[in-house]
Amino acid sequence: MLTIALSKGRLAEKAIMLLENAGYDCTAAKDESRKLILEDEKAGLRFIMAKPADVPTYVEYGAADIGFVGKDTLLEEGRDLYEVADLGFGKCRMCVAGPVDLKDGKLDLIPNKRIATKYPNITRSYFEGVKKESVEIIKLNGSIELAPLIGLADCIVDIVESGRTLKENGLDVIETVADISARVVVNRVSMKMKSSEIKPMVEKIKEQVALL
Amino acid sequence: MIDAKFYTADGFTDTLPGICAFKKEAEGKLRELFRLYGYRQIETPGIEYLDIYSRPGFVPEQNLYKMTDQKGRLLALRYDGTIPAARYAAGIKDFDQASLPLRLCYVENMFRFADSGGGKQNEFTQAGVELMGADGADADAEVIALAIKSALTAGIKDLQISVGQVRLFDGIARQLGLDEANKELIRDAISSRDTVTIEKTCDKLGLDTDGKNLLLMLPDAQGTYDIIDAFRSKVTDKEANEALDNLKDILDALDEQGFLKYVSVDSGLLGGSVDYYTGVIFKGYTYEVGFPIISGGRYDNTVAVFGRQMGCVGFSLSLTLTITALLRQGVSMEETPCDAIIGFAAGCRGKAYEEAQKLRDQGQSAILDTTAKSKTELEAYASAQGIKKVIYVDGGAN
Repeated sequence: MLTIALSKGRLAEKAIMLLENAGYDCTAAKDESRKLILEDEKAGLRFIMAKPADVPTYVEYGAADIGFVGKDTLLEEGRDLYEVADLGFGKCRMCVAGPVDLKDGKLDLIPNKRIATKYPNITRSYFEGVKKESVEIIKLNGSIELAPLIGLADCIVDIVESGRTLKENGLDVIETVADISARVVVNRVSMKMKSSEIKPMVEKIKEQVALL
Repeated sequence: MIDAKFYTADGFTDTLPGICAFKKEAEGKLRELFRLYGYRQIETPGIEYLDIYSRPGFVPEQNLYKMTDQKGRLLALRYDGTIPAARYAAGIKDFDQASLPLRLCYVENMFRFADSGGGKQNEFTQAGVELMGADGADADAEVIALAIKSALTAGIKDLQISVGQVRLFDGIARQLGLDEANKELIRDAISSRDTVTIEKTCDKLGLDTDGKNLLLMLPDAQGTYDIIDAFRSKVTDKEANEALDNLKDILDALDEQGFLKYVSVDSGLLGGSVDYYTGVIFKGYTYEVGFPIISGGRYDNTVAVFGRQMGCVGFSLSLTLTITALLRQGVSMEETPCDAIIGFAAGCRGKAYEEAQKLRDQGQSAILDTTAKSKTELEAYASAQGIKKVIYVDGGAN
C-alpha cells in the first residue's frame, strides 16, 4: 500500500490524470466527498488530501510515501526529501516584483529594503544568500501586490504566472528567484523500504510527463 | 498559577512505564553486544564547549542547544557521540600509537533543535560505537556488521542498510572536471535524487552524454556487486576506483558474516548537513518510521581537527526511533506485572518482610502492601493488577 499526499485543486487533478494515464486506478481519489483519506485497497493506493504547504511535511515524516507538490512549497518548507521528478506543469516563476521604476538595478540602490511575501524563507535565502544583503521581511497571507502600492513594503517576492495582476497594479517583475513547477517527492525511507512499488511508479510518471 | 508549565518542554517527552522498561532492557543488551565486540564504554560530558561542535562542516549552529558558563563561555548540550569521542581521542595524554585501534561505545541522550515545525524529538537516545585509528574495509565492515546486529538486538526484523562511498562521487567529479561550485550543486542534487537539476547542470556545463549518464547513475543505482561492476566500466579516476574497491571489500566481509541480505549499495548516499564523512557512509531503514534509524560512516579528518590524525569509522542507532518503529509495527511493550504481593495482619509485619525478601532473593519481584488491605481486598487488588501470587501473612497458616 502506497500513501500519496495531494492537495485539493488543479495540481491534484493533473496528478491524478497523470497517474491514471500511467495505469493506476485512481477512482478513490476522485471521490467528491469531504473525506480526507481516500483508500482503494485493490489498487493498493491511499490518497490523503492535505493543504499544499503540508504535503512536504507528511512526506518527510513518512506519513505519506509520495507527494505531489509545487517547487515553491518545497523551497519554502525546506524539508528533507527525495525530489524525483519534474511534472512540467504548474509552471511559473518565483519573482521579486515592484513598482516599474525600480527596474534596471534601481532596486539594488534601496538599503535595508522592506519586502512583503507569503514566502519568508525563500525571500530570506535569496536576499541573504544570493544577493548578500540584509532585508526586512513582512509576512503576508494574500494579495501581496497591495503592499508596495500602499507603502507597506518596497517590493514583493511572489509567484508570477502571466504577470497580469502585477501589470494591472502598475508593478512588474524585477528579478527571477527560481523557476517553479509541480514536483514528485518521495520519503527517504519509503524509497528504500517500498522501492519495488515506488520506483516503477516514478518511472511511469516520468514516461507520461515526456508524452505531455 | 495559570502560567505554571505543568507539561513537558517543546520537543521533549516522558518515556512512560512499559516503553521505558523495554528501552532500558534494550540499552543493556546493546551495551553487552558492544562489550562482546571489544568496545569500551565511555561517558563524555552532557555539556561541551560550543567550539568542538561549531567547526566547519560539523554541526549547523542553529541545531545546538547553547548556554554559557559562569565566565560567559559558550557551551552546547551533547549533540552526538562522534565529535566528543574525537575530542577525547585527540587529547589522550599517554597516547600510544601501538595501542590503536581504539574501540569506544556509548548509549547516551542527544539534544538537537531538530525541526522548527515541531514534532521531532529534540532529545533522543543513541547507541553507537567509534572504531578509531583503523583504516580499511575490514574496519568499515566491522562497524556496519555491528550496526546490523544492534538493530536486530533492539528487536528490528525488517532492516535495510544502504552503503555508499563519498569518494566515488569525489573521483567522478574530478574525472569530469567539475569545479567546486558545480560539484556541490550536483552533490546536493544527487543527495535529494533531483535528476532534473543534474541534467540541467550537465547541459549548462556542456558535458558529453557519457559524463551526464555517469552522474545520473549515482542517484539511481541500487544493488550490490552489479552496481560496483557497472561503475567500474565507466570510471577512470584513481580515487573513484579505490572507492569501488572499498565497497567491494566491505560487501565481501559482510557476506562472510551472512549479513549481505540486509545490505545494498546506494551510490547516491553522499552525506547531508553533517558532512565530515570521508569514505564509506551508511544508513539503516525499517518500516513505519520516515527517518533512518541508523547512521554511520568513515570520518578520517575529524580527530585531526582536534590535533591528531586518525582514521575512524562509527555508527549510531537511534533507540528512540527504533522504539517508535517497533510500536507501530505492533510490538507490545506492556510491562509484565509484579510477581507477587504480600499483605499482612496486624502484628505480622516482621514475618511479611521475611516472606517478601525470600521471594526477592529468588529473583521474583514482590510488593509489600503498605495500605493495610484485608485478605479479600488484597486478592481483588492483585487480580485487577494482574499479580498472580498473593500471600497474606496473618500469624496462622496462610
